[in-house]
Amino acid sequence: MATIKGSITVLDPIGLHARPAGQIVKLVKESGLEVRIGKAGQELAKANSPLRMMALKAKTGEELNIEVDSDDEVLATDLIAQVQEFLKG
Amino acid sequence: MLDSGTILTGMGVGLGSVAAEVFRVKPVTSLPQAAKHSGDEDLELENLKAAIAAVSLEMNALAEEAGEISAEIFEALIMLLEDEELFETASAQISQGWNAGTAFINAVEEYADVFAGDATFEERLNDIRDLARRVAASIAGISLGLDIPTNGRFVIVGEDFSPADTAQFTEAVVGVVTIQGGPTSHTAIICRSKSIPAVVSCQQAKDLVDGMQVLVDPVGDRVVVDGQESDITEALSFIAKSDNPIIPVRANIGSLEDAIAASASAAEGVGLFRTELLYLSAKTQPTKQAQAASYTEILKAAPGGPIVVRTIDAGSDKPVPFLDMGDEENPALGVRGYRLIENHRDFIVDQLESLEIAREQSGREVWVMAPMVSTYSEAIEFASLARKAGKFKVGIMVETPSIVHQIAQLAGVLDFISVGTNDLSQYLFAADRMNPALGALLNPWQPALLRALEQIATVSQKAGVSSGVCGESASDPAFAVVLAGMGFQSVSSSRSQVGIVRQALSSVTKEQAKEVFEAALTGLDADQAKSAALAALATISAK
Repeated sequence: MATIKGSITVLDPIGLHARPAGQIVKLVKESGLEVRIGKAGQELAKANSPLRMMALKAKTGEELNIEVDSDDEVLATDLIAQVQEFLKG
Repeated sequence: MLDSGTILTGMGVGLGSVAAEVFRVKPVTSLPQAAKHSGDEDLELENLKAAIAAVSLEMNALAEEAGEISAEIFEALIMLLEDEELFETASAQISQGWNAGTAFINAVEEYADVFAGDATFEERLNDIRDLARRVAASIAGISLGLDIPTNGRFVIVGEDFSPADTAQFTEAVVGVVTIQGGPTSHTAIICRSKSIPAVVSCQQAKDLVDGMQVLVDPVGDRVVVDGQESDITEALSFIAKSDNPIIPVRANIGSLEDAIAASASAAEGVGLFRTELLYLSAKTQPTKQAQAASYTEILKAAPGGPIVVRTIDAGSDKPVPFLDMGDEENPALGVRGYRLIENHRDFIVDQLESLEIAREQSGREVWVMAPMVSTYSEAIEFASLARKAGKFKVGIMVETPSIVHQIAQLAGVLDFISVGTNDLSQYLFAADRMNPALGALLNPWQPALLRALEQIATVSQKAGVSSGVCGESASDPAFAVVLAGMGFQSVSSSRSQVGIVRQALSSVTKEQAKEVFEAALTGLDADQAKSAALAALATISAK
């Protein structure tokens, strides 16, 4: 399976807090895909646990790497765009 | 026992007040002590799964009763409760021998360590801890209901209330007092949304007992034992005495949406257009055409009047992806704002040139200013760059204490200055804005800040440089009157506050504003300064 990579930026003034973390995990679970998110230079974490997402402690303005395992590039790109939406606060 | 008339201070939530009987929420029946299981790990896992499912159902039911605002909170909580990783962490605890209830509480505490020291997460952590207690209680067969009466009128008093607690508030709850919890606690949010008068973070409330009568007086930030309606602190009301405020009130914006919303307010132009939002999500530097197009759209939508645009205010704590900023030990004291000129001159020039195209295309009056200027030379350099790039009025932000001492020398160079009070406080008091423990030092009513602001207004006036304030403090109507009294020539507020700030500045004359400012100067600390200013305002509005 292909892995589509992208990057997203935390724009929410409170950072990656409970609400966006929950929204992201909900979306990922509904998509049935494996999605990983993490800080540059660090191991990415599976985006299926809101607590694990919050534990990234990503702050406003911080850029995160995101990877989606899927052969459907359009679907993966849409998902990344949607995750970015959740991080707008 | 508290005497009649005793005043308990806390932080008020809301503007209404209420006098009623105390209902002290009973300390929760204590949960069983942490304990090991008898050896059947599978049974413990089953128990844990069943308890999580039961609490999840309970939360769903509460969410339905609690209405829209809380529904979203409950949804987030349920997701945390059912978090797979949390379950795995708890399973590992069970493997170590702990019983299901203890294991789940321990698992949550493992996360508590990860989030420790982070104020935003710590408040949510209390919500998650509450869930863990509910799971443990469900396993032990204990009820965590608050048993609040359904009839009568009561002021509910307790440590703090979790989402699951506030969902149990009945019609009989007419006031709320918490011993812990702050202005952003769940209790405060719910009370504000339901218009229930509340005082939070009121430590002396621990001595309140059932049957006492209290007045909950949020405007006075207090609870009064046996208080009467005559004890209620009057909310300051501003009655406009003229159509126009004594100085213009502009709006702060950061995006096209803000510009559109601001134009629906009574704002006279924009006092702070934060441009960094346009760049924070861009992976590569936008072309001049793209920048000009975005700016044109925003300038056209902005409320009538001048538009003050701040050039990029980024730094390693607020990095722009396409500008290499690196990491810094102290980002607030590092390469940020105009200091980017060293490595990114082209970008700043590009931004100014894009703004000039947008100015021509929109036909609007545009003022440009640079953030984080700390020397005369920087101010001169920016002024020459800006004047070369376009037909702007040119100014700087006054945020560093150093530049205050060189404003006089900038006569004839600058058209205006604008004070960012949050950063000025941070640098004046050497107090990190991001550290919630230092909030008191960053209070805009601090006498040293008031005096620094007055100095800025005075030297600007002498230098023939127009002066304004665009920081957070200008969104507080009483403080805006004080700023006008110092001699500032405009304020810029967050758009939701434009109306009330305008009203405040229309309720006084310039001389009266000066009296309010002079009253504030008599205070030796922030509380005294604020009280003195509010008292002076009350006297004026009673005239």
